[in-house]
Amino acid sequence: MRDFVKSTKFKVLLGFLAFLIGIMVYSVTKGGYSLSGVSLFNTVSKPFRTISNSISRNMEGTLDRLAHSDEYYEENQRLKEEIGELNRRLTEYEALKTEVEELRELVSIKQEHEDFEYTQACSVIGYVTNDPFMAFTIDKGKEEGITPNCPVVTAEGLVGITVEVSDHMTTVRTILSPDLSVAAVSSKNNKDMGIVEGDIPSAEQGITRLIHVDKNNNLKVGDLIVTSGTSGLFPKDYSIGKVKSVSRDSNGLSDCAVIEPCSDISRLSSVYVITDFTGKREEGNEN
Amino acid sequence: MRIRSTREQRIRGVRSVLRWILYYVVIFLCFLIMTSGTWMKPILLVPAAIAIAVNSGQYSSALTGAVCGFLIDIACGKLTGYNAVLLAFFSIIVSLLYEYYLRNKFVNYIVITAVISYIQCWLDYKFYYEMWEYENVEMIFSQISMKVWAITIIASVFVYLVIELINRFFLPKDHITIEEAVNTAIRSERK
Repeated sequence: MRDFVKSTKFKVLLGFLAFLIGIMVYSVTKGGYSLSGVSLFNTVSKPFRTISNSISRNMEGTLDRLAHSDEYYEENQRLKEEIGELNRRLTEYEALKTEVEELRELVSIKQEHEDFEYTQACSVIGYVTNDPFMAFTIDKGKEEGITPNCPVVTAEGLVGITVEVSDHMTTVRTILSPDLSVAAVSSKNNKDMGIVEGDIPSAEQGITRLIHVDKNNNLKVGDLIVTSGTSGLFPKDYSIGKVKSVSRDSNGLSDCAVIEPCSDISRLSSVYVITDFTGKREEGNEN
Repeated sequence: MRIRSTREQRIRGVRSVLRWILYYVVIFLCFLIMTSGTWMKPILLVPAAIAIAVNSGQYSSALTGAVCGFLIDIACGKLTGYNAVLLAFFSIIVSLLYEYYLRNKFVNYIVITAVISYIQCWLDYKFYYEMWEYENVEMIFSQISMKVWAITIIASVFVYLVIELINRFFLPKDHITIEEAVNTAIRSERK
């Protein structure tokens, strides 16, 4: 062993380790973009990862059905009863739907979001291995105009933000993560403002939190929380989630609401990235 | 030791190339398994790097460790190079341990895998979660890091079997050339 420490081999290996540390330090300076080698590997491995992920999801689905067959049977019975109830309500809803469509035309909601520039639908390739905050990768990247810190949404609401962009692949940090803070406000009352930020116990249940809410708030269970758009990272008035409960924060100085995201983040199959919108901040980092 | 002929030398070279191709196929499969689905998964590339380092020299172990580390960084969304440094270092250590002190036995492999994957999980927890002082951060260690560690050890048995299977067919046995045999005989006669 002593001979090894004195040998040239030892010095070469030390040099190799120093080279790897150099790569690590260099990758920190890339500011959210992947190293070209990683980007190339991501591009090459993308088809394999897509195939293996679909196989894996099918297997997980089959195993899940086998393991929870009793629960599914009970759920099925309950759902049948609910369908009966829902059918009764359907007639009522049809009338409401017509009215809503008329109102939608009236206020021209589409015109309101004319400034949004979306990418094409991005498929979720897979979730980041063992990440407690459900970060995931999508099949679009720099080539499709995505940059770090672009909002990622579904038709239901905000999902997260892009953090690492390769040529044809992007990693997305979700709103369940404590590393992402989104300025938010209640859609009913503009005074009830706060910061949507995940934490570990909430992320485990697929929910997030609205923190730093004024103690004299009017938040109620079921209230819709939307982006306030003040940071310039997220467009204004995009749905985030609904209030599940409101309680006093552990510091006793403000209130904290539990938010159920509009999108089920653990089961995403496709999302959209908003690459540009009015009021977007060019450089900056809210998260 | 047996004396090998020129033909055997050629076969040995071909086998060695095939062995490394298969090693890297296994590494890529481990990467695909790690990046698929939504369930918690073992860090398969740690036992794979160790199993390969057991029968390899320090240079090839370092390189394979670095490749496995880079793939872990991609799969787990970590800083590029972080796991590469760790695994390259541990692969060199494992290679040296087996060259100087340890015999190629399953129990040694499992103990080393358990220790290294624990260190990897612990450092991951320290640098990516605890250091940032999230609330209830200890939940990550007990509910994710420890589970990942446990399933990595269980999965390492299968990785070991696959690598051993490759070694059984493609790892060259210790042979010497005629020149080496003659030189050794001359040296021993002189003594």
